[in-house]
Amino acid sequence: MTKVYLVDDHRLFLSGVKAELSEVFRIVGTAYDVDTAIEEIRGYNPDVVLIDVHMPDGGGIAVVEGVGETNPDVKFLALSVSDQAEDVIAMIRAGARGYVTKTIEPEELADAIRRVDAGDAVFSPRLAGFVLDAFAGAIPSDEDPELDQLTSREKDVLRLIARGYAYKQVARKLNISIKTVETHVSSVLRKLQLSNRHELARWASKRRIV
Amino acid sequence: MAGVAGGIADTLGVRDGYVRAAFITLVTIWGLGLILYLGAWLATYERVVDTEIELVESRRAIGLGVAFTGLLFLLGSIGLWPNPVLVIAVAALSFGTAAITDPSSPGPLVALMNPDVERVSRPRLLLGTLLLIGGIVMFSTALGQVFEFGIVFLAVFLTGLGIAIAFGPWVRRLLMDLGEERSERIRQEERAEVAAHLHDSVLQTLALIQRTDDPQRMAILARHQETELRDWLYGTAPLDGVDLVSTALKQAATRVEEDFQIPVDVVSVGDVAVNERTRSVIAAASEAMVNAAKHSGADRMSLFVEVDEDVLEVYVTDQGKGFDLSSIPADRKGISESIRGRIEKVGGSAQIESVPGEGTEVLLRVGL
Repeated sequence: MTKVYLVDDHRLFLSGVKAELSEVFRIVGTAYDVDTAIEEIRGYNPDVVLIDVHMPDGGGIAVVEGVGETNPDVKFLALSVSDQAEDVIAMIRAGARGYVTKTIEPEELADAIRRVDAGDAVFSPRLAGFVLDAFAGAIPSDEDPELDQLTSREKDVLRLIARGYAYKQVARKLNISIKTVETHVSSVLRKLQLSNRHELARWASKRRIV
Repeated sequence: MAGVAGGIADTLGVRDGYVRAAFITLVTIWGLGLILYLGAWLATYERVVDTEIELVESRRAIGLGVAFTGLLFLLGSIGLWPNPVLVIAVAALSFGTAAITDPSSPGPLVALMNPDVERVSRPRLLLGTLLLIGGIVMFSTALGQVFEFGIVFLAVFLTGLGIAIAFGPWVRRLLMDLGEERSERIRQEERAEVAAHLHDSVLQTLALIQRTDDPQRMAILARHQETELRDWLYGTAPLDGVDLVSTALKQAATRVEEDFQIPVDVVSVGDVAVNERTRSVIAAASEAMVNAAKHSGADRMSLFVEVDEDVLEVYVTDQGKGFDLSSIPADRKGISESIRGRIEKVGGSAQIESVPGEGTEVLLRVGL
């Protein structure tokens, strides 16, 4: 059974999620703060950590980076109410394999955890929007132009996800297999994590204000 | 001027304005005032320093006034008045001025300049004004024999002046009170507006949360309330007060959520300012959302906004029961036509795709 660890500074929310997930997964532990989380995750070595983006003392990023040094196999799924694109993108770049909002249905959350555990990326509609925004208007660098741009197929997949379609529906809309959809999404995730150029150009300066 | 009037006033215990008025009046009697003033000045060895003196009770002041009037008439009866009109007019004018302008006991003119001082006492104000008007009228009657054509104008002017002097401070005070009342009223209206807004938003949401058992629902309610309150507190337009399409569409989505109790997941990529063309897209998207909320039967819907290069695209997607486009019921046809009409009017296009059992998607596209 998949070992899951939960990190959230909102205790009420944490206990709610724990109750929902404990039937499907083995919840090995929970933490309300960054330091406890890093220490316990290193000790328990869970498969998936469900982690809040906004927390005191460095937030989810501090945990992802702190654990990544010692336990590179632990996978992170970010869970947040945050509307701040920069925070979410930073979390993904730090190593999280997906981002879902706290309004997600319990079954969908369980599904996302399984997907992350299997090594796939989990893009919620909002994350798809953030990523499209982050890559929009980026000028490819000379060193590694492929990393700085999304292919048109990847954009198509992200747009469909942003419109609320599940991977299965995306696959059917584009006449491709689910596996191919997952490949595209993972490729986008890899670009996001490896490229050092997408400075969220759209938010910074390219908002089209006429 | 040399402190003579002040000295005599201190000695007699009356206001120096009146003593000066007495001197001025006596000047009209063959310069008697001037002679007396110079004599008194020479006789005074030390100048009296201006000090706060205790004013005598008004009875003594009146007594002195009556005595001075008696003296004047005595001088007149023994034939010393060069011109009765001149003497009486000057007396009235100088005493009237003294009555209403004395800074130590402020009259209306002082009050007019400096609204902080207390109101002038009513009898003094009345007496001073009457004296002034009387004096001016006498003066002008005397002059009127020469300049008769000006008499009407003069009368009107004098009456106006008298009224202004008498009621000026009162009007001014009234205006100031009105100003204070107005700013207080504005403050109260603002407070009422804040209260009304909090009542319609935060308190309603809190009430809804208390009546909900579903934690998911509570989270949605709270999240929307937070977004809404943040927008209201810190303004909705992030850049230079420009209204953005993404903001406007989020607000439209929130309204649909509130009206139909169905979550709308809004995702936006890029942004553009609201103008006539984009506004019609916002209106059409709102209509599509309402339509989906009413007819789709889905438990949530998506709104995706993308500004790419010079095109604005908005998708309203639901995964509800959908419908067969070839056999659209009349009521839905009307709605889709109206959505299409709005968009085509500004040179855009609308596509409606629907598969029975799978859902409906409305695409709105307009060039920027």
